[in-house]
Amino acid sequence: MEDLTLPKNKLTEFIKKIQLDYTIFAPTSNDGIILYKQIKNPSEIILDFCNSRVPPKSLLFKQTETMFRFKLGVKAEISQIEFSNSKSVIFGIRPCDAKSFSILDHVFEDDSIDPYYVTKRKNTTLIGLSCTQPGVNCFCTSMDGGPTNPDDVDILFTNIGEKYFVEINNEKGKNLINKVSLFSKATTDDKKKKQQVEEKSKGAITRNMKTKGVKEKLDKIFENEIWKKISLKCLSCGICTYQCPTCHCFDIQDELTLTNGARIRVWDTCMNPEYTLHASGHNPRPARMNRTRNRVYHKFNYYPKNYSVIACVGCGRCINDCPVNIDIIDIIDQVKEVKA
Amino acid sequence: MVDQNKLREEINKIVARDNVKYVIGWEKGTYGFQVTPLFATCSEDVDKLIFNPLCIHNLAVFPMLGEKLPLRNGAKEDTRKIGLIVKGCDSRAIVQIIQEKGLDRDDLVIIGIPCTGVIDPKKINERFPNQTKTVDVEEDGKNFIIKTDEGKHKVPKEKFLMNKCKSCEFPNPIIYDVLIGKEIKSAKKPDYKETTSFEKKKLEDKWDYWEKQFERCIRCYACRNVCPLCYCNECMVDQLNPQWVRRSVNISENTAWNIMRAFHLAGRCVDCGECERACPAGIPLTELNKKLEKDVLELFDYKPGINVEEKPLLSMFKPDDPEDFIL
Repeated sequence: MEDLTLPKNKLTEFIKKIQLDYTIFAPTSNDGIILYKQIKNPSEIILDFCNSRVPPKSLLFKQTETMFRFKLGVKAEISQIEFSNSKSVIFGIRPCDAKSFSILDHVFEDDSIDPYYVTKRKNTTLIGLSCTQPGVNCFCTSMDGGPTNPDDVDILFTNIGEKYFVEINNEKGKNLINKVSLFSKATTDDKKKKQQVEEKSKGAITRNMKTKGVKEKLDKIFENEIWKKISLKCLSCGICTYQCPTCHCFDIQDELTLTNGARIRVWDTCMNPEYTLHASGHNPRPARMNRTRNRVYHKFNYYPKNYSVIACVGCGRCINDCPVNIDIIDIIDQVKEVKA
Repeated sequence: MVDQNKLREEINKIVARDNVKYVIGWEKGTYGFQVTPLFATCSEDVDKLIFNPLCIHNLAVFPMLGEKLPLRNGAKEDTRKIGLIVKGCDSRAIVQIIQEKGLDRDDLVIIGIPCTGVIDPKKINERFPNQTKTVDVEEDGKNFIIKTDEGKHKVPKEKFLMNKCKSCEFPNPIIYDVLIGKEIKSAKKPDYKETTSFEKKKLEDKWDYWEKQFERCIRCYACRNVCPLCYCNECMVDQLNPQWVRRSVNISENTAWNIMRAFHLAGRCVDCGECERACPAGIPLTELNKKLEKDVLELFDYKPGINVEEKPLLSMFKPDDPEDFIL
């Protein structure tokens, strides 16, 4: 589709105009920590950041989601949740995090439709912001992505100096852009500048993961000693999974007062021993070894088998935040080296 | 600085023993200022062993994470000892756990290192951002020597130390089997200035501050899992019947969790600061711990983890204990 540009000083006006029709979520600062939050004023938006601490999956697949409410008593009543049709925009999402939605879609849409995720997903337009300062542990280029990759967003903004280079990727993006007449057509010079940004950003990514043959190798080393070795230092906390833009497991619970209740679902983590604990008391993944191994297999073996895509976008959050430096790139390197 | 050769020599002797499962220490990490726990079982592992001012982890957590798995037919329980390298604060955690009978002293081989302070990862990463390759750090008296790709940098120690180290009263391990190097003298005293000034704030201001912090909590429980003293078989937050804290992640439940975590460490926390270091949401948990530490000191004149013979604070009664808080 056609490429446009937007002068930087028109960004506020652009946000204000689309705010009339859309709820805007954007990167904001909470005590210096970048998180995607609903904004009221464009001045709240932080543009100079590497990536958010918590991935924006939390906007579509919320950490706590009410599924329905009920009243207790002899005549119990159930009230459905009303799905809102209001439109939203996630502004400033990074291409890697946008890719995570394409990966998550398989789980929430393929076999059965999950209305909680799907409704939000359909009503949300992703306005991406190209990554110009990749972090130390970014490796999106190894995962079929790129810091300025427009594939998984509806519109992609790239900072090319005085203005943003704006790529419209699909009809959803076009519909939004058509509501605002602030854009001009991109010139060949603009396109060249975007290419330069792309090259520079790609060049700034130093880490890479070689995933070729990993799925097949994993089939052969399930019982290998390396899983014990890798997991010895694991603390069994939930950081790597909660901070992962593609992890999507949840737990379902009823939360009650004396008269009312709600069935909620909350993020769950396969690092938690409770995760697979059966009612009988048996736990098929009793040790940290079983759980650490499961995280790797789910991302690099089970998911590719089910949906032909690795459940990792290379955002590096699990590496950045692990308190004991368990490093997924290092694990995959070890997997490749170990003798089957 | 600790003599690494001497350290490796001693650890080699220990891993060679039949009754030792492994010795837990540190090795180089995978990038930047990371070092990572090492479980050494043989002399090849020991060759990787390091100790430098980046060795921040409190390794006392690992014996507490041990899983008692059902044994296969005929299999025997592994009762070999665990070797553990500890700094002053880490050793206090072990003393506290032994007092509580959470660990048996005989199950451990403790290698003590008198500690001259560790580097605050936040401060060092701010000063030297984007280090992809692993960075070597040494120390010479008042400075850290940082060897990055761009060259050697000498930076003042005081500026990059963890806050806990600036007021560390116990740099020498309290308990050990082998001590590497000589004990160091410390005239440092615990510092409660920040706690005292926070105490003076208005109630609403205190609430506003903590509300903003707890709002970010994602309830990953890394603060609990990284803490050597959080070792209940079943944590109250995992219990379903009764359910003390709901699974919903919101300001009310997050506050309940964070306050309960801090309270369960009253009179037990040794201020190793691991909870705050691990927190992916950047919640200043040591500020809560520090307040309880101060209260315990003022009320009972007690410091946790400094005497194996003593009973844990909340398991003993003294006739002259203050009772002002009993209605």
